[in-house]
Amino acid sequence: MIGLDGCDLPEASGFRRIRDPYSPTEVYAIPAIKPDVAVIHVHEADVQGNARIFGSPGYDLAMVEAASTVILTAERIIPTEEFEKVPELTRVPFFIVTAVVHVPHGASPTGCYPDYDVDEPAVLEYQQRVQREANIEDYLQTVIP
Amino acid sequence: VTAFGIEEHILVAMARQVRDGDLVAQGVNSVMASLAFALAKRTHAPNMVCVNIGGGVDVMPSPLPPSSVAPQWIHGTPVIVSNADLYGHMFSGRFDLFFSSGVQIDAEGRINLTVIGDRQKPTVRLPGAGGLPVVFQTVKRVVLWRARHTPNIFTEKLDFVSAAGNVTRVITPLCVFRMQDGRLALEQVFPGTDVMAVRTQTGFAFATVPEGVSEVAPPTAHELAVIAELDPQRHHRLEFR
Repeated sequence: MIGLDGCDLPEASGFRRIRDPYSPTEVYAIPAIKPDVAVIHVHEADVQGNARIFGSPGYDLAMVEAASTVILTAERIIPTEEFEKVPELTRVPFFIVTAVVHVPHGASPTGCYPDYDVDEPAVLEYQQRVQREANIEDYLQTVIP
Repeated sequence: VTAFGIEEHILVAMARQVRDGDLVAQGVNSVMASLAFALAKRTHAPNMVCVNIGGGVDVMPSPLPPSSVAPQWIHGTPVIVSNADLYGHMFSGRFDLFFSSGVQIDAEGRINLTVIGDRQKPTVRLPGAGGLPVVFQTVKRVVLWRARHTPNIFTEKLDFVSAAGNVTRVITPLCVFRMQDGRLALEQVFPGTDVMAVRTQTGFAFATVPEGVSEVAPPTAHELAVIAELDPQRHHRLEFR
């Protein structure tokens, strides 16, 4: 890729600078990130793992393309026939997905546009309550029904 | 005359860097950058097109939400440009302007957002530069701004070069620097300061622009009215604490 000239990042990260075989410029070859597992939260999924993401997908699609195991958590499980009616809306294809978990409000206390916004008081409460590792279990007990 | 502070004065100096018709991108966590774009759009640059970090295009909620990822930033957008796709568009060289900042900034307009001290054993681990190395190399004009101006911030030597590239201006509470032959040159000062004061507060040597250093023109009453409408709670002032 282009766009890393003049900064210390390539050397610090071990990115190799190579000649572009198709033009007289130089580019960087970035080593692939190969995550074992990616977990992403989606709005709608079917039981096979097809998924719709509304709002911005951010880097979710890059993450699931790279990971060997993909777990979806979904606000709603809907029938496969709904995906077949409008396949253009499907952002994650079922054949890369390992597991689908139905987790309504699963992004909370952060937001899941357009379903719900960031819950600021809840984020602050989280911040205060999990300052010590020992308290994490206690926090999870109260937020996970 | 409507009262204004250095915060609003910097804001209009930033907005005036926008040219009508620019394609601009708005990064994460910067009230000043989003306000500057919204102000430009409402004044001299109605044909500016802005892609925000949430993926919204030309969405300018009024008042602006304090968070750069609030849902209002994609409400009513005709298209969502994911962050991954945004970089694809940047690689093609389409983007004209981006506002950024740095914990340290050097005479070549390079920034450090990575570490203070040695990289292996840093005194302070900073948030990191995210996509800025690519932004600085691919967006045509990068304008830096900083809420403080000290010799430690505007330093001769960066502890780490996080991003380097197409910086054209640097705007601080004291002055506006312009890139000239690869080094920052003093172009304008804010009222109440002068070239000597800027030299005292800057850790690197710099020239002045050939046409002579001028004073940054004050905000107009219209610009101040638009700022008051876009940010009635004055969230932008928080960045100066």
